Amino acid sequence: MTALGEFALWIALPIAFWGMVMGFVGGYHKRGELVLSGERSVHVVFILLVLASLGIINAFLTDQFQYWYVAGYSNRDLDTYFKISGLWAGQRGSLVFWAVLVAFFASITVFQNRNRNREFMPYVVGVLQGILGFFLVVLLFAKVNPFEQLGFVPADGQGLNPQLQNYWMTIHPPVLYLGFTAFTIPFAFAMAALLSGRLDSRWIVLTRRWTLLSWFFLTNGVIFGMRWAYEELGWGGYWFWDPVENASLLPWLTATAFLHSVMIQENRGMLKVWNMSLVLLTFLLTIFATFLTRSGLIESVHTFAQNTSIAFIFLVFMGSLFVAAVILIVYRLPALRSENQIESFVSREAAFLLNNLVLLGAAFAILWGTMFPLVSEAFTGQSIAVGPPFFNRVNLPIGLVLLALTGIGPVIAWRRATGRNLTRNFAMPLGVGAAVSIAFISLGVRDGYVLATFGLSAFVLAIVAVEFWKGTQARARIEGEGYATAFIHLVGRNRRRWGGYIVHVGIVLIFTAFAGRAFEVEVRKALNPGETVSVASPFGHVYTLIYEGISSSREQNFDRWVALMTVERNGSPVGSMSTERRFYRVNRQMVTEVGIRSTPMEDLYVILADVEDFDGIVANDPDAQRIVVQVMVNPLVPWIWYGGVIITIGSLIALWPAAEVVRRRRVLAVEEESPEALAGAASA
Amino acid sequence: MKNGRFYVGLVGVALVVTYLVWTGISDSMVYYLTPAELLAKVEQDRSFHGVGVKVSGKVVSGSYHKGDEDFVHLFQVHDIEHPDVAFPVVYRNVLPDTFTDDTEVVLEGRYGEDGVFHAKTLLTKCGSRYEAAPADLAGQGTAE
Amino acid sequence: MVTFGALLLVGFAMFLILHPIISGTEAPLESAGEDPSDAQFRKRVSLLQLRDAEYEFAMGKLSEEDYHALRKVVSAEALAAIRAEEAEATLAGGSAELSGDADLEEEIAGVRARLKGGVFCSECGYPNGVESRFCSECGSPLQSPRISPAS
Repeated sequence: MTALGEFALWIALPIAFWGMVMGFVGGYHKRGELVLSGERSVHVVFILLVLASLGIINAFLTDQFQYWYVAGYSNRDLDTYFKISGLWAGQRGSLVFWAVLVAFFASITVFQNRNRNREFMPYVVGVLQGILGFFLVVLLFAKVNPFEQLGFVPADGQGLNPQLQNYWMTIHPPVLYLGFTAFTIPFAFAMAALLSGRLDSRWIVLTRRWTLLSWFFLTNGVIFGMRWAYEELGWGGYWFWDPVENASLLPWLTATAFLHSVMIQENRGMLKVWNMSLVLLTFLLTIFATFLTRSGLIESVHTFAQNTSIAFIFLVFMGSLFVAAVILIVYRLPALRSENQIESFVSREAAFLLNNLVLLGAAFAILWGTMFPLVSEAFTGQSIAVGPPFFNRVNLPIGLVLLALTGIGPVIAWRRATGRNLTRNFAMPLGVGAAVSIAFISLGVRDGYVLATFGLSAFVLAIVAVEFWKGTQARARIEGEGYATAFIHLVGRNRRRWGGYIVHVGIVLIFTAFAGRAFEVEVRKALNPGETVSVASPFGHVYTLIYEGISSSREQNFDRWVALMTVERNGSPVGSMSTERRFYRVNRQMVTEVGIRSTPMEDLYVILADVEDFDGIVANDPDAQRIVVQVMVNPLVPWIWYGGVIITIGSLIALWPAAEVVRRRRVLAVEEESPEALAGAASA
Repeated sequence: MKNGRFYVGLVGVALVVTYLVWTGISDSMVYYLTPAELLAKVEQDRSFHGVGVKVSGKVVSGSYHKGDEDFVHLFQVHDIEHPDVAFPVVYRNVLPDTFTDDTEVVLEGRYGEDGVFHAKTLLTKCGSRYEAAPADLAGQGTAE
Repeated sequence: MVTFGALLLVGFAMFLILHPIISGTEAPLESAGEDPSDAQFRKRVSLLQLRDAEYEFAMGKLSEEDYHALRKVVSAEALAAIRAEEAEATLAGGSAELSGDADLEEEIAGVRARLKGGVFCSECGYPNGVESRFCSECGSPLQSPRISPAS
């Protein structure tokens, strides 16, 4: 099986390039049989890549340590699901994983469009197969072949890094990769639009679902990464402005911008060049994210090994794509002219544009800060680093502006908002926001950013609540329905808008959670059994942890020392929690597992900072029980995860196709409404 | 001019972001040095003792011991290229899990007049953190 | 065993990919009337804007003046799109079959019908429905003038 997988990888390469040539040539010369051959090659490459992936997984499951990759990321006693996730545990396998996901989406796209959008498809096929060809070239020629063999068969593998032996490790990379790779489809259609000359908003409407799907996965992927860092890196934080974290955030920022700016092109025929550029930029950033992670260009907590031939190939690829796309855009500039212009700074167009500019500004700042050590070293010979203070300083104001826009955008009028429109829609929510800020001032909060965040969050929530209320009310009145029915129909008729509002609520929760960091509390103490440590939550109550004792045991893959604590809240027992240290025997590495007790408003977070006498505990020496702990209260952190759930709900609503779309396939994918049977006049 | 407002907005935001980035970098930038470079800089300029810097080096084997209080860690860090160049470090926080003898570390802090580096943050830069080095397995013998 | 599987794989792949070229089977290069034309697309967009405008007016987000101004502009765009669509259809030789935007059109008509003959509240400006005697927004008793669709 594994050998077959390796063979599949080799024959996928020429077939991918064949498909690329067939797509472009067939499309340009209008040769339908070439195009069909190209489309078939898309499916074939997908099957081959699936075989390659299965080959790798099979090698892991059957402990085939003669493969460099398997030996490096697995051992006999490793849990089965970590063996399976070995496919994306390391650089080589994850490249195959990336490719198979792109091929999967490509195959779906070709199948979905076998009778539709035919003017685009040959070029879509060409672009997608070209991209797959690139990844195959990297895999087979840049010394990163996952099927490379050692030349001997080790008795056991090196095992998986203990910090990767965590539930989130099996979820975070795949979801993030789904986000990155799904964006290849909108990019392919954008290039197809440029190549075929069909430059109206059609390509945007066609790819809207893909963009949203990609964004959905990217958002969840980033949030899962935060969860993983929070649980596994064990410092009480969830974001460190680490270069690899930043690299995954960059395409998210531009994808969010794109998600919004397409609405301007759809509604007002503006920003066509802008949207083309954004798609290109986002796609390049997804490739860049993988490039940064895989090439070890910037040192970071995440970084994989250095490999300069990969760096070269990636740079050439990204560079050529960029040049080709720019040439195409310039060539098509006449057809990309805006149909309208921005009439007023106070309008929905302007709000969306500001949203875009600010998101791109953040992306630029983060990119600059991440690359700064390299750039400064190249120019001055001296490496200069910037850390979290820089990123926070730049992004906090940007975050506030974005938060405000989240409330302004949905409600401000198109074209030109009059004073009437503004007072009507913003007076009350502004009042709510101000009231909330004042309330927090009276509670003693003085931090400007925190006050602004809480106030703006309230402002946005008020706006969304009023939108839902008024919309339901209007519909109930107009259609004569009950409020519950009206609400369901309201959302069902315009899923993109109302799903989007729900997503905004989730974003607000997350931003509010970020503000909670200003109120973190931390206490450190050494404890013997029976002793206690107390920490006061900013919400007023006091947690007391009673150290019961520490025990040791031997598990399949590691030895562990577990410290048990009883938790009291304001004096009454509410449960227990544990924190532990693990020694992974094969990797010879010590890992701390923190203890987290979540309540809706905060997390109680305990780190086993030190154990005095590991061996004494194993020997059951009663005097060896002294430990050192760091106890934290992290207010509002659970709201990040809640926000993620709400974002998921909103995204799913926005993504969900209306049942009638299937039937009304011949009309555009502007599938927001359920059709009524009768015809009516459009205008009076 | 058509789309004038678009360009005004673009330029405006660009200016603001540039300002934020500029001041952000000036405020929070730190030199990223090796121990040898750090010591050389301090020799040249005594006031460098007070400057926050980032240093990348390797923990000297066997040099780690705990301080008198909890959360105090003492060890020596040497230059990767010039292993004889080293200085002592004191770090007052929770040690990262991957900290052992001979790991590569990245420290942020000040090199004090007392000749000790006072580290505020400590990161272990495990070169092989995610990447395997199965060549080491050669000695283990083969499976049947 | 593996070699056999490999050969099978290659053979299968080659067959699939080369068959179209050998047999001349073509993938369609044009979407025969499946995809909407540019004019149809523009019309759809205009109708959506009209629909949203109706709802926003009904929700009280737009004042009457703003609503009428918006409607005027968007209706003009919709009309232009409809004419372009008819021109396209005539060019194609067929009769102008209206694209499946019937649902939107009916929705807009429905909203207007309910609003038509309704009353603006003299206190807060909220556009109330036909049957209302008291303003749904602020509770004041309603009098004329009634809402009528402006030109």
